[in-house]
Amino acid sequence: MRTQVPVVVAFLTGFALLVSFFFNENTWIGQISSEIKIWVTIVGGFTLLLGVVSITRVNWAAVKGRKEGWGYKVVTLISIFAMAIPAVFPSTWSPLFGRAEGSIYDWLFVYLDSPMMATMFATLAFYIASAAYRAFRARTPESTILLLTATAVMLWRVPMGEAFLNLFPGNIPEFLNTYIMNGANMAVQRGIIIGAALGAASMSLRIILGIERTYMGKG
Amino acid sequence: METMDRRWIYLMVAIAVFIPFVFPANFPISITPETQKLYDAVEALPDSCTVMLVFDYYPSTIAECEPMTTAALHHFWRKNCKVITLSNIPLGGPSMAETVTRSIPPQYNKQYGIDFVNLGYKANYVAVLSGMGNSIESIFPTDNSGTPLSELPLMDSVYNYDDVAFIFEVADNATADYWVSIVNAQYGTPMGCGTTAVSAPKYYAFVDAGQFVGLLGGMKGAAEYEMLVGEKDKAVSGMSAQSLVHLLIIGLVLVGNIGFFLGRREEREAKI
Amino acid sequence: MCESGLFYWANGCFNRLSGRSLKREIYFDNWPYSFILAQPMRNPRLHNLRKLSLSVILALFPVSAWAQSSNELIRFDRFNAFILLVVFSAAVLIYTNWAKRGKTLFLRKIPGLDAVEEAVGRATEMGRPVLFIPGIAELDEIETIAGISILGRVAKITAQYETPLMVPVRYPLVLAAGQEVVEQAYIEMGKGDAYDKDTVRYVAGEQFAFTANVNGYMMRERPATNIYMGAFFAESLLLAETGNAAGSIQIAGTARPEQLPFFIAACVYTLMGEELYAASAYLSHEPVMLGGLKGQDFVKMLLIIALVIGILLVTFGWGDTYVTWFDAV
Repeated sequence: MRTQVPVVVAFLTGFALLVSFFFNENTWIGQISSEIKIWVTIVGGFTLLLGVVSITRVNWAAVKGRKEGWGYKVVTLISIFAMAIPAVFPSTWSPLFGRAEGSIYDWLFVYLDSPMMATMFATLAFYIASAAYRAFRARTPESTILLLTATAVMLWRVPMGEAFLNLFPGNIPEFLNTYIMNGANMAVQRGIIIGAALGAASMSLRIILGIERTYMGKG
Repeated sequence: METMDRRWIYLMVAIAVFIPFVFPANFPISITPETQKLYDAVEALPDSCTVMLVFDYYPSTIAECEPMTTAALHHFWRKNCKVITLSNIPLGGPSMAETVTRSIPPQYNKQYGIDFVNLGYKANYVAVLSGMGNSIESIFPTDNSGTPLSELPLMDSVYNYDDVAFIFEVADNATADYWVSIVNAQYGTPMGCGTTAVSAPKYYAFVDAGQFVGLLGGMKGAAEYEMLVGEKDKAVSGMSAQSLVHLLIIGLVLVGNIGFFLGRREEREAKI
Repeated sequence: MCESGLFYWANGCFNRLSGRSLKREIYFDNWPYSFILAQPMRNPRLHNLRKLSLSVILALFPVSAWAQSSNELIRFDRFNAFILLVVFSAAVLIYTNWAKRGKTLFLRKIPGLDAVEEAVGRATEMGRPVLFIPGIAELDEIETIAGISILGRVAKITAQYETPLMVPVRYPLVLAAGQEVVEQAYIEMGKGDAYDKDTVRYVAGEQFAFTANVNGYMMRERPATNIYMGAFFAESLLLAETGNAAGSIQIAGTARPEQLPFFIAACVYTLMGEELYAASAYLSHEPVMLGGLKGQDFVKMLLIIALVIGILLVTFGWGDTYVTWFDAV
């Protein structure tokens, strides 16, 4: 029962969406598809609660058991509720509630959340430098080509580098754009994209037909 | 020389980012054909048409993506376009749309509800994108602040994608793929894309196939667009730091390879 | 596509099968389409084909919709997509059927997947945990489902060797699916009691909060093996570099072309694109699943042939009509 019902639901919804693709939206098949899409957005909203329950349970257990680093878990729990609760209350109660400018949520978002996330993303620059230093080695002819191409593209993508490339005869930036980005790069990307899309379609078909059930822990 | 403590590398990167703040260097920024095509496509839109500006990026990539949305908003409003903003990013997307629309100076004299609307966020982007093809209101019954769409004059004339002349998708993730495969392929709405530098190579294929009219790749793409729109801002000013870090990485790769070859020669000599 | 022959063929086919006269006759080389279409129907040797076509069309056209004209009802502009769907589904189902009947299907080796068991064994020997990340996308991404499928296999191995497993996730639905899969794996291996509900845990909904948490875990617990299978974005290098610094053996798999270079630079093995989707079938060795892979390969061959034909036709300036056949697919 625990396997069959989800498989039947997956088949019916998958089949309905697939068939409806070939019908106009104002037909009843098209309407079924629109209805399913609305249901999906609603169910998607409710699943966010699952996350809150999970993170609260895991962190609360750590705080209660005074596990190592429990103080950080307290900060996590406070942060979750400090951000979520004022945003849920209507702004008609107080300008601090809701998500408008001047609300608690807005303040936390603009002055804490955004800079912290941007900082995390910025660390990528440090990691890229370290990975490039370690991994880019001219070990073989192929890796040498890769190395030279990467260097040329890195130069081209910044004004200082482009100015340097323009010192050489021939229009190197245009060559890079035409033959590297719109040539070799595009061909490789298309190959991977087409292959991956076929793989995804095949897997979707296996799921809709109930052949692939490993994602439910079966098979 | 072949191996170096990664903390030294981190320190060098930090210095390379910091130097241009003290000694800014201005080099000419050339315009790539992908950016030019996007600019031309927006320029060719009829005045006062309705467009969608999609904030599909997290606050983490503000440095790369926000200059794109800001410049696009300048461009749209200069052409007197009606702008519908929305996001498929749960955390931050709608707030960023608010922040960007707020940050544009009042020179354009635009009013919320009449000239622009922020639809906010709805979960499950695949369903949202295809659902809007049928009816935007069925997916977003209210705007980001809870006002019913029926109370917003701009939305009186906008029912689904048929009423949208152009979609400008700014994304730091794979949602751009879905805008292409769901909205452009199935509804035929013209679309342009701005994305992070790391994702940009992937989207050249979409530009070549005509699924995107043009492409802004990373901060360089944003800087080019700022130049074209005539609103030099954060992206243009960030180019110096980016230039130095790129040069540093090239230098590090060079040093690593010299070390590699010296090491190999020593090994060979030891064998002999 | 609207101007292509396929459109007219489909339109005429529907009208003929529905027994209604054509609203407007379409001509091809001075022959009416209705006449051309009627030929296979009149041929007794094609009787089965006619029956099959009729049943397919009837299944797709509900009785209540017959009152509407075909153009209002059906998106004929997507007929090419319909053909592709039929060919693709048929290929997958035919190969699956062959595989069920015991036909041996060749599958090339995927070293990254073969290394998974070895990597878990390493963790067992070192007495350190295995970290598995099924990507950072929602469950509606096929990549995430592929990741969850591989997680099931990995969980069976960790259950067998009683190696600690940690699975941080970013979305609640992935949490529910992940918990189900891991619990099932432990039960199947007879280690239901060893299953810890917090093995799969929701860490954070935001990309970099998630990354910070997982990186912290890597540096504190120093897992022996890190397995990344699913959709990854800008955090790919942050995770892989930290794992590298922590001395973990790393195996990755993603269908995101833009993240592949980062994983290749920092991981021992990387599954590229469709290899990720093939992983669950590869690891399961179930003929039914392998059949799907072969069907997919067959369609890929067809696409390659179509591409080559297209390149040749377009190169010589004869490809205008051919190209329109692929509109909106």
